[in-house]
Amino acid sequence: MRQLGRWTLLALSGLAALTLAGCATMNVSSHVQQGIDFTKYRTFDWGPADALPTGDPRLDRDPFFQDHVQGAVEKGLAAKGFKRAGDGTPDLVIHYHANITQRVDVNRLDREYGYCYDADCLVRVFDVEAGTLVLDIVDARTNRLVWRGWAQHSVQDMLRDQDRMAAKINEAVGRMFEHLQRPDMDARPVSARTGAH
Amino acid sequence: MRPLGSRAALAAAAAAAWMMTLGACATMNVSSFVQRGVTFTQYRTFTWAPAEQLSTGDPRLDNNEFFEARVRGAVERGLAAKGLELVERGAADLQLHYHASISQRVDAGGADRQYGYTDEDSAPSVFDAGTLTLDAVETATNRLVWRGWADGAFAGMVDRQDLFEKQIDTAVARILERFPVNLR
Repeated sequence: MRQLGRWTLLALSGLAALTLAGCATMNVSSHVQQGIDFTKYRTFDWGPADALPTGDPRLDRDPFFQDHVQGAVEKGLAAKGFKRAGDGTPDLVIHYHANITQRVDVNRLDREYGYCYDADCLVRVFDVEAGTLVLDIVDARTNRLVWRGWAQHSVQDMLRDQDRMAAKINEAVGRMFEHLQRPDMDARPVSARTGAH
Repeated sequence: MRPLGSRAALAAAAAAAWMMTLGACATMNVSSFVQRGVTFTQYRTFTWAPAEQLSTGDPRLDNNEFFEARVRGAVERGLAAKGLELVERGAADLQLHYHASISQRVDAGGADRQYGYTDEDSAPSVFDAGTLTLDAVETATNRLVWRGWADGAFAGMVDRQDLFEKQIDTAVARILERFPVNLR
């Protein structure tokens, strides 16, 4: 990171903003406790269910959505070498939260990418239902957050289509876990990660 | 999006990102409010008031302990540099609160004009802007004696933890520049 120029970093952050605004692609990132070593953790379990509203009645207490997120997260954690704690004393406690917010998108990408010139460019303003899935990993012993991942995507076409929602949840959780660095497991082939545990 | 040559696309994206970011960075707006008639040199110690449960407006930052620790750390260092001491709850002269708020804003094209990127008509854009507010409440009277805030289009940086943390440090440092006393 250090050797990258300042402008490169600024450009990248601008790109992130652009991507978020565009909503055409899924925006995935994470925050992590500095210096965390995930190899010292072996087991996980789910924390108490999230009581915060999602911001959308179609998603609140939707068992399909909850089941699918939990299944995808458990699969992802297994691939990272974590086992579900059987005795109620996990090393890691997992929470997730889903949120849907109404946002406005102004489509000015056509202009920026040179598809049109000044007067020819039509400004299209439209509402976007922006969904965010946040996944928290908490150290059970210290009760401190050690990792937070999130994925953001427009959800309007998902809420009517379970298959699409399932596919997007899988993509969201899969890409989030790419951000969780666990060198000992990440080096192994995918096929070897889940089977042995 | 139609396919483009990768170099052209990269150059266009970088230019657009640069413009957006420049606009964003150039406009971090910092200000403060001071209760009249208060002698700030009487305050020697501060503590954190119980954390508030208000939403930031951005699910990435709600209950985000990394974000909270970064803000608190920057404030604690900044006030220590001014000679104020952090103490346990209750016994301090000042109680600190902070609040972060992210909201979507629409720019009707004014920024482009202002920075001279376009001649006349500019396209509107939307961006995430954030405000970080720091309040100092006098413990003895429970009244607000100082409020400082920084406002800017920094939310695009949330996804880049290292950049975001630097931005928090900058915002807090600039807010605390306006804190009216330096005991050192």
